[in-house]
Amino acid sequence: MNLTKEDVLHLAELARLELTAEELEHTEKELDKILGYVERLQEIDASGVEAASMSPKGEGWRKDVALACDEYTRELILANFPDKKTDLLKTPGVFEKPKG
Amino acid sequence: MTDLNELTIALAREKLDAREISSEELTKACLDQTRSLNGALNAVIEVYEDEAMKSARAADKRRDAGERLGVMDGIPMALKDNLLNQGHVVTSGSKILAGHVSAYDATVVRKLREQGAVFIGRANMDEFAMGSSTEHSAYGPTKHPRDPERVPGGSSGGSAVAVAADMVLAALGSDTGGSIRQPAALCGIVGLKPTYGRVSRYGLMAMASSLDQIGPMTKTAEDAALLLQAIQGEDKADQTTSDAVPFIPDWRENLAGLRIGLPRQAWGAGMHPEVRASVEEAVGKLKALGAEVKEVDLPYADEALAVYYVIMPCEVSANLARFDGMRYGLRKESLPLYETYARSRAEGFGPEVRRRILLGTFALSRGYYDAYYVQAKRVQTLIRNAYAQAFKEVDCLITPTAPNPAFKIGEKTDDPLTMYLEDVFTVGVNVAGLPAVSVPAGMADGLPVGMQIIGKHFDEAGILAVARAYEETIGK
Repeated sequence: MNLTKEDVLHLAELARLELTAEELEHTEKELDKILGYVERLQEIDASGVEAASMSPKGEGWRKDVALACDEYTRELILANFPDKKTDLLKTPGVFEKPKG
Repeated sequence: MTDLNELTIALAREKLDAREISSEELTKACLDQTRSLNGALNAVIEVYEDEAMKSARAADKRRDAGERLGVMDGIPMALKDNLLNQGHVVTSGSKILAGHVSAYDATVVRKLREQGAVFIGRANMDEFAMGSSTEHSAYGPTKHPRDPERVPGGSSGGSAVAVAADMVLAALGSDTGGSIRQPAALCGIVGLKPTYGRVSRYGLMAMASSLDQIGPMTKTAEDAALLLQAIQGEDKADQTTSDAVPFIPDWRENLAGLRIGLPRQAWGAGMHPEVRASVEEAVGKLKALGAEVKEVDLPYADEALAVYYVIMPCEVSANLARFDGMRYGLRKESLPLYETYARSRAEGFGPEVRRRILLGTFALSRGYYDAYYVQAKRVQTLIRNAYAQAFKEVDCLITPTAPNPAFKIGEKTDDPLTMYLEDVFTVGVNVAGLPAVSVPAGMADGLPVGMQIIGKHFDEAGILAVARAYEETIGK
């Protein structure tokens, strides 16, 4: 597998990672080398073999319910907000237009 | 007389119970040692001086009142920097979590606290546990205790050095592809990766959830058993924990009747000659104790590393998507929103983490998913079957833990693939979900070598018994 610079840029976009021109250069070479190594898997005939899975505990999904937490835990969570207004998490606007 | 900080958990426990020593004295000895060595070794990112002394005095008070919370009561230890500890900063060795305060306790941390353990500090690690040298920490590399120009292994390198340099009696690490066993081997201590599902991962910052497991890093196999007993067990908060019969040590006087397998594929080329010689000599000692040793076939052993380097980055790319600068962690605000994500993550993550995220993103992307991820999961089944087949013939498997002794700082950072090859003997165990222990076995180039003993699912008792029997032959 030989990735092009465009491929790597596309992956970086999917992964939400900014890459400098220099990083792009490196990354392309490194990923090619690693993919070259893992490609040995494709030589194995695993047709008809079931993909490994974890055995879940039978109960399926846990219930999607809010759990109460004590005041101390709540304070710790709030204190980790990168930005806030009173107790509300403040985020950049989702619908803001790009600058310029 | 041994300095107190050099004691094992088992000996310290005896002395505490006999009132020969106090936890305050023991903890002070550990803090003194940490203070004098940590500047050079950078094993512990943050030392909890006051808190540790307070916990120690509380343990002594309990003892005066005739109470004991558990085996770990009053025992000083270190936690890897990816285990949540309520009210404390925990960063996973990453800049993206600089100053991040844990909102809750990991299950293992809660259990140890409830049993009275004294936490000395949080130990350095490769960022998000990605690495085999502890060079990929945002807080600087950890140095090998015998040669500060060398790495201690990784990713639990800080935990390994804290134990090897007698800063603590024991530490917890986490192991996704060898991150407990390889640094234990390189530093000359015992490292146990329990069976997947033996120990709750709740509150362990996830790297690759289907492979991660928390485990003990100690001075002896007996201590590893004590610490595993303290942290094991089913947990409602982690659905992957097992309801298997709890681990209880089952020590043996000799190894008569024990069948040991040496996987042909692992003992081929590609290891340091003195590593080979040391582990062969150790196997010879087990034979002298009555074990039967034979070569076994372990097909796909060579492919385990490739399987690992597909499955792990896929899970990494999913697990680390949560670090987006919104609810916690570093935020580099820039409009539009996409730029905030991309910039926060680019600045917050180091190069190895970014590389693995991109690799995983690739293997999960449209057009490549079947050829990479699904194929790797199929070969994972073949690897599991191969181990199951081998365990029909033998009770445990033995390999060196790592192909080389501790290498020089900077030696492998330019070429990720050579760093990955350090894990060639350890990753198969994670891919198959098995337990394995690394126990110190001789030297290579004057540096410690580890012998890896791999067991059947939930047979920690079996492999620890072999490890301890070996320790006794070398007078430990």
